[in-house]
Amino acid sequence: MASPADSQQTANRNTRQRRRMLAWVAPLAAAALAVGGGVLASNNASAEPPLPKKTAQQLLTAVAGAKVPGLSGTVTETANLGLPSLPTGSQGGPMSSSDFSDLVSGTHTLKVWTSGQDKSRVALLGTYGESDLIRNGKQAWLWSSKDKQAIHTRYVGSAPDSMQPGDLSQAQTPQQLAEQALKAIDPTTTVSVSRNVTVAGRPAYELVLAPKDDRSLVGQVMIAVDAKTSTPLQVAVTADGQTKPALSAGFTKIDFAVPDASTFSFSPPKGTKVTQHTVTAPSKRDRADARKHAKDAASKTTVVGKGWTSVVIAKADQTALGKSGKSGGNAQLQALPRVSGSWGSGRLLSGALFSAVITDDGRIAVGAVRPQLLYDALQK
Amino acid sequence: MSAAEAGTAEAGTAEAGTVGRAPNPVVSWVRLFASECRLVLTRRRNIAGLAVLSAVPILIAVAVKIWGVGGGGPSFVDSITANGLFVALAALAVELPLFLPLAVSWIAGDSIAGEANLGTLRYLLAVPVGRTRLLTVKYASLVFFSLCATLLVAVVGGLIGSILFGTGSMFLLSGNTISFGATVLRLLLVCCYLAAGFAALGAIGLFVSTLTEQPIGATVATVLINVGMFVLDTISQLDWLHPYLLTHWWMSFGDLLRSPIYTGDLNRGLLTALAYAIVFWLAAWARFRAKDVTS
Repeated sequence: MASPADSQQTANRNTRQRRRMLAWVAPLAAAALAVGGGVLASNNASAEPPLPKKTAQQLLTAVAGAKVPGLSGTVTETANLGLPSLPTGSQGGPMSSSDFSDLVSGTHTLKVWTSGQDKSRVALLGTYGESDLIRNGKQAWLWSSKDKQAIHTRYVGSAPDSMQPGDLSQAQTPQQLAEQALKAIDPTTTVSVSRNVTVAGRPAYELVLAPKDDRSLVGQVMIAVDAKTSTPLQVAVTADGQTKPALSAGFTKIDFAVPDASTFSFSPPKGTKVTQHTVTAPSKRDRADARKHAKDAASKTTVVGKGWTSVVIAKADQTALGKSGKSGGNAQLQALPRVSGSWGSGRLLSGALFSAVITDDGRIAVGAVRPQLLYDALQK
Repeated sequence: MSAAEAGTAEAGTAEAGTVGRAPNPVVSWVRLFASECRLVLTRRRNIAGLAVLSAVPILIAVAVKIWGVGGGGPSFVDSITANGLFVALAALAVELPLFLPLAVSWIAGDSIAGEANLGTLRYLLAVPVGRTRLLTVKYASLVFFSLCATLLVAVVGGLIGSILFGTGSMFLLSGNTISFGATVLRLLLVCCYLAAGFAALGAIGLFVSTLTEQPIGATVATVLINVGMFVLDTISQLDWLHPYLLTHWWMSFGDLLRSPIYTGDLNRGLLTALAYAIVFWLAAWARFRAKDVTS
């Protein structure tokens, strides 16, 4: 039989214990809030934003006619090409490299600024390092903080017009441009407008290009187009049969205010090794020469197949092969698996989006196809 | 020990004052905090630890002075010859994974478990120092120590670097050249950012310290948590976990050395540190307020 004093004591102990347990609610709630907030922040693009319907052609017309005076933003680029890991000398672990050549694998953060037609800057942010590519009118700088090197290129004469793809430049209006583009890709590609998405906090249309030929390694290409400004905000290439994109680049933050002019000026710090380059704009005769050179090169190059499954076969001179890939290019080549068949023998580089064969007799076959199609093409 | 003394002294004043009038809680908190800070910086073993921390920048600077850069080595080292202030950055980058966290873990592990181990915790709580107040003072002194330790490394590095290599033009990772004053300001920002991260680790240490009466055990456990987070951060299969790791954001201090400063990762780093600090301080509180203090 418990006396009243005893039961009083038990009750007290129980309250005390309950209070002790209750105190733990505070840290647990805070932890749940923190994790929940983090998850919410990373999945911001769940709801489909309502936008007026647009056809693929309307969307392409809008993109071709888009005029943005300037922008600045942060881009996240992820490459998961499924390439064999080559000894690139980049640091592993949480350190991210600031070499532009390392963009072919892993996730990287870039900052992008543009102003008008001829000013742009791209900065690759690595851990404790940065590489910048700055273009300002007729000047271009490539800066690497790791090597403390800068490459300065000056364009003499008219500015390079490499931005204009030859065939499309004859079209006059964005409407015509879009029509031509659609006509060019229509026989091989299904073009559609998918569900609306949110990229960098902005509602966007999603244009999907899918190869009709299912022998292609490319599953589909998705391009998110900003609803307001028609600027492409994100590009993702998914390999056939995969759900995660093998290659994607998109804005995580974007601001359409024109950046300050000082963003595009660069003067190398003291003690920097500066390499000077001068590029003279080709005159009319030079252009004709260049076209002839291109034709010569084209005669060495054959294209087998068409559209998404075309295979490009090029003759490479052995010396160029030996020099490729900086130092140890040959060692990297030797690291690739050997393949052989009735077409000959060589080494195979096989990725999620493309395959390449370098034959022993100095031919290179590349295509967004499985290796078997390359072998078939080499046999022809 | 002196914390207890300060507490007793304070209790004495309270007793001497008019009965019923409690001492100003802010004043007494500040007094306890000041005594705790003094203790943290003047204990002989802590001074020895700080000496080790400041030896690293000296070692780096002297090594570069004698043997030159020679390519490779830790980050920022190859820029030292251009500007001595880079010694501070190189030293911070070198000490960030282990040395500085170890120092903070040491103080944090000692905070509650140390008092319990020496038998002073009982006295500290016997005088009118509430448990919640004691935890806020202990944590505030941890934040203070994190900042002091980080600043010490930077200041020693900056001084030895300036003496051996002078302060030439300082350039940022983006290639911009900035003035001496702007460089010092950026260094200060780097120290504050890193100290916030270490202070969050200090909250973990404070929590662990309430679980045991063995200060060494608490320190070792906190260091293991720190190293464990660094290990998890290197496993690429766990990339979904990385943003939640406290240490994942520490190396983002380099973003303060860009032009313009890239705030994306810095903001997330500070938010993560804040979340860790709040969660583990509350956990320490939940544990400590219910703890039976027997020693």
